Amino acid sequence: MKMNRRGFMKTCGIMAGYAVLGVNLTKEAVASAMDFVGMRQKSVYDADANSKIYKYRKSQDNPMIKKIYDHKNGFLHEGPCGHMSHHLLHTHYVDRSARLATLKDKGFKFNL
Amino acid sequence: MKQIEGVMYQANAPKGVDPDGIFFVQVDPAKCEACGSCDEVCATGAIQAINDDGIHAVVDPAACMNCGQCLVNCPYGAIYEGVSYVDEIFEKLKDPDTIVVSMPAPAVRYGLGECFGAPTGTYVGGKMHAALRKLGFDYIWDNEFTADVTIMEEGTELIQRVKEQGKKNARPLPQFTSCCPGWVKFAETFYPDLMPNLSSCKSPIGMLGPLAKTYGAHETHTKAKKIYTVSIMPCIAKKYEGLRPELADSGFRDIDATINTRELAHMIKTAGISFNSLPSQQPDPALGDSTGAATIFGNSGGVMEAALRLAYEVLSGKKLDNPDIKVVRTHEGINTADVKVPGFGTVKVAVASGLSNAAKLCDEVRAGKSPYHFIEIMSCPGGCVNGGGQPLDPEIRASLFRSTVAQINKRFRARKVTA
Repeated sequence: MKMNRRGFMKTCGIMAGYAVLGVNLTKEAVASAMDFVGMRQKSVYDADANSKIYKYRKSQDNPMIKKIYDHKNGFLHEGPCGHMSHHLLHTHYVDRSARLATLKDKGFKFNL
Repeated sequence: MKQIEGVMYQANAPKGVDPDGIFFVQVDPAKCEACGSCDEVCATGAIQAINDDGIHAVVDPAACMNCGQCLVNCPYGAIYEGVSYVDEIFEKLKDPDTIVVSMPAPAVRYGLGECFGAPTGTYVGGKMHAALRKLGFDYIWDNEFTADVTIMEEGTELIQRVKEQGKKNARPLPQFTSCCPGWVKFAETFYPDLMPNLSSCKSPIGMLGPLAKTYGAHETHTKAKKIYTVSIMPCIAKKYEGLRPELADSGFRDIDATINTRELAHMIKTAGISFNSLPSQQPDPALGDSTGAATIFGNSGGVMEAALRLAYEVLSGKKLDNPDIKVVRTHEGINTADVKVPGFGTVKVAVASGLSNAAKLCDEVRAGKSPYHFIEIMSCPGGCVNGGGQPLDPEIRASLFRSTVAQINKRFRARKVTA
């Protein structure tokens, strides 16, 4: 494998990290990013399971969901995926691959 | 440019332009140290070295999914945001003729507190609603309500797709979630042949915008044209989504402005609100009340778990006694599960966290080898709680600077003592 300048700089950076911080500290610094996310994730699941914050745990049990989908007077009275739902709540997608193909033709390299 | 919670922002509030031409994230070449942290976390390779010194840039918006993982992982604060509606929102809040509506996403309430000194992940939903009221928002509506709507719509769509298999014009399986705007653009750009597999459901914010200007306007006797909707997201890609030309089904622009968690913290601080002493308040009910199923949308695997809480009950006709479906909860990588539903059979699901993992599942679907019914994809590892618009992880910058300095100081002091 050919070593380019950036690869060399990066390797030097990692080596310097180990040299200055020691193996354990550098490992900790890398792992801490996901621990940080894990703390936020735990808080989300705790709130879900806390009946003082969320009285209901299933979407279909939300009284305001029952109200909007009410068969008689609800705004979405036809139920999920009905006409009004399709008008307001559903969408379509656009093929955006052509712009990427143009870039690749110009010589840009991407990961996919 | 202004600094907001450690990130630089351009005060640019685009209207009626094609979002495909906008750089939502870009590198300041003067601050880039060529460390390459950004291209390590970028799934598409949109951010790359542009010269021999290794200075990086997002080379073209067409290849960038606007997820902002490069920004939150840059140890040098070299990456800035190209779009900010903060100034415009302050103007609208002052205007007595404009009815300003707040629409915060689930994950915002697990990050916002960090900007005011709370420990990582502290839930501040009640204080957030109180702060929005104090800022002068006329209606405190919540994107969590439409997360519940999304479950009703997307769960129903999945059940329809499963039932129509083998029939003429059946929509294909697996069905992909469509809540994450980075992933939706990714599918449109790199896997357009899989667009029929994407749920036709808009994301929760894509649903709350038009509901605010139709149902919300009706419920509150407000003229829809006076309503200005503010989407508050843990995300940068939502700024792109808000500008999608097709999101105008209410007869107006469905989403008028999009900011992220950092910008909301900045607005609260600018307004001089003492966040930590605020009481806990509820949102306004019609488009505000939500459930635990809605709040877990912020985690990778959350949409899947919330959808299964509905699908189980609809398909089996039985009550799901324990709503915890822990097998789909995903911290990183790909998670797969077989969920047994009585009276129906097995629902096969997969959850991908991060776009490089998404690509693996997409390749499987493209090859016709995917065994799944339903696949959830989140662009950011761990889900929206780790979104590109969330408060920065203090460790990422501290690990490089502070711990290095601390180590050097320690050695220096240690040497002095022994001398």
